[in-house]
Amino acid sequence: MLRRAVLQTFRQGLAQSFFKRYAVSLTETTVTHQPIETSNEAGERSVPTQKTGDESRNTVVVAPPEFRFMYPEFLPDPAMETRNRLREKLERMDMLQRRSVIEIPEFYTGSIMAVTVADANSPNKFARFVGICIQRGGSGLRAWFILRNVVDKQGVEILYEMYCPLIQKIEVLRLERRLDESLLYLRDALPEYSTFPLDMEPERRLNNSVVPINPLKVKLRPRPWLERWERQNLQGVEDLNLPQRFYDKAEKVAKPWEKYDLMLHYRKTIPAEEQEKIFAEIHSQLQQQELKRKLRRRRGPDNEQ
Amino acid sequence: MLSIVFHKRRRLVRRLFFNHEQIRTMSRVKRRTTHPPYWHVLKNVQRGDEKISSDNLRFVREVIQDKYKNKSPIKGSDLDIEKTEWDPKTKRSGVIARNIGVQHMWEKDGKKVICTVLHVLDNHVIRYVPPEEYAKSIIGAKVFRNRKPLGCLVVGAEAANPDRFTKQYCSLFNEVGLLPKKRLARFIVTPNAALPPCTPLTAGHFVIGQAVDVYGKTIDYGFQGVVKRWGFKGGPASHGATKFHRRGGTIGTGRDKARVWPGQKMPGHMGSEKRFCRGLKIVRINMKYNVIYVKGTVPGPTNSIVQIFDTLLPRRKFTEAPPHPTYFPPEDGTLPQEDIWDSNLHVFGSPSISV
Repeated sequence: MLRRAVLQTFRQGLAQSFFKRYAVSLTETTVTHQPIETSNEAGERSVPTQKTGDESRNTVVVAPPEFRFMYPEFLPDPAMETRNRLREKLERMDMLQRRSVIEIPEFYTGSIMAVTVADANSPNKFARFVGICIQRGGSGLRAWFILRNVVDKQGVEILYEMYCPLIQKIEVLRLERRLDESLLYLRDALPEYSTFPLDMEPERRLNNSVVPINPLKVKLRPRPWLERWERQNLQGVEDLNLPQRFYDKAEKVAKPWEKYDLMLHYRKTIPAEEQEKIFAEIHSQLQQQELKRKLRRRRGPDNEQ
Repeated sequence: MLSIVFHKRRRLVRRLFFNHEQIRTMSRVKRRTTHPPYWHVLKNVQRGDEKISSDNLRFVREVIQDKYKNKSPIKGSDLDIEKTEWDPKTKRSGVIARNIGVQHMWEKDGKKVICTVLHVLDNHVIRYVPPEEYAKSIIGAKVFRNRKPLGCLVVGAEAANPDRFTKQYCSLFNEVGLLPKKRLARFIVTPNAALPPCTPLTAGHFVIGQAVDVYGKTIDYGFQGVVKRWGFKGGPASHGATKFHRRGGTIGTGRDKARVWPGQKMPGHMGSEKRFCRGLKIVRINMKYNVIYVKGTVPGPTNSIVQIFDTLLPRRKFTEAPPHPTYFPPEDGTLPQEDIWDSNLHVFGSPSISV
């Protein structure tokens, strides 16, 4: 009791965040500018709109677990040397701002997409490219994906930065997944596996809740290849039909203990509790943006009339 | 050493030979130490495992709260600051900030720009040392040996529990009544830019589009070889080169000198030195989180402390008056604009760029 009374008087003073650790209860009633705050603590400070005045009913907002796969670029780079909560939070705010202008749909490696980019050298000033997403990576505003297609018997790959303001539109023509996370082996596969018509129409999904997995097994061209595919444990490739010495060498070079290395996997991922916090923060905003887009789509054909 | 100097036109000195003299004197300068300078007050308490009961701990905390309760730092409007005029020769205070990482942004023509995010910590002015007094101190005498003396502002950042520091260190802040700060820095200022103690310095101290110098300790690379440290080319990777791929090669000049010149570039410790990055442009200021976005990169790794101040590059200095002597929130209580962008930068909430 005495402690709480003293804390009340001290709330206007200096050492707010320092004494937060010792505070009995945390109420985010005063969200005024707190001058003393380390950058990590500032990032951890939860969004005030979520919590209500009284502490008795703690409304905790949790995003659905699929967000981890739908929006992987919101998770920061796990390397500890470069992590900072405040910067990550500011970056997420910027990402949401950009998403309010353009729809960046859910997609996975193996989905066929069309991207329209502003291009000064094009006749229409816009360039549209259709291709299959063979790889995606990056975190935050640096998130990127690579689209591959075969145009006039020439394989073409383009890397797009998801948050670049030159991008006008991203459409997902066919939403599906493949058996592998990275489809770089399509470079060594027969060209028909990477060819998609440039005027492809978007396909309608029958079942909206589940993203289908395409169990296609791709046939590779005869060797030489760009990489040693037999060493990479690929699921989406047909039997490679190599001489036994290749597989023997692959076994020698393999690291089968890595799947038991818990610390390695821990260092490569963001802990589950942090992931929940991050997605809870952005969940409501993303939902609002989706609702607005749905309304706009419904009103669109009505307005034309 | 042969050098051609045009005194009348003040052109650059044309060097025809390698200046061993300058390198020899500079190679003797000690670039880094692990111990602090002799005039540093012992900062952190060297304490063993103190078994203190929870009641006593609570009492200690109450004492600390009582001590700092009445002397809270006051807002800008309550401080009595003399209204001084800004002139182009004014040197304003700098600010202590933390380099919290790098963010990519885009300009209005679609060009990508790497911006370093600097978080301005809770800076407060601790003390102002007038020019006459500062010129008498050892460091002040060295700095102003041949020029007119200027004043010195001692600024602190990152308040912390006084429990962790020694009594001598806390006494530095006792006059002002502030919680002891983890970081201290000195900024050379002209007398008309002097600030009273307890003045807070925020991100609003800077202006969009201005150029700043950032001073920090570079990344520590450890013991590095000659290729990474000095940019040597090393040797061929193949064609029969025996054990000569990343080595330095010849270190002597010939029979004349018959020795190695001091300052010869060799492997050694690289990094962990205080350096400047000059003329970096500020492209965005976030007043709510006290964060500055600066175009380019700054010395030091992520989460390291740097000092930011107005640039001394002559062509990028101020032409109009900046917030002088520092920024204060407007007296009528209106909140400033939260996020201020440079006119050249693409704001994320605005429509996509069409070329």
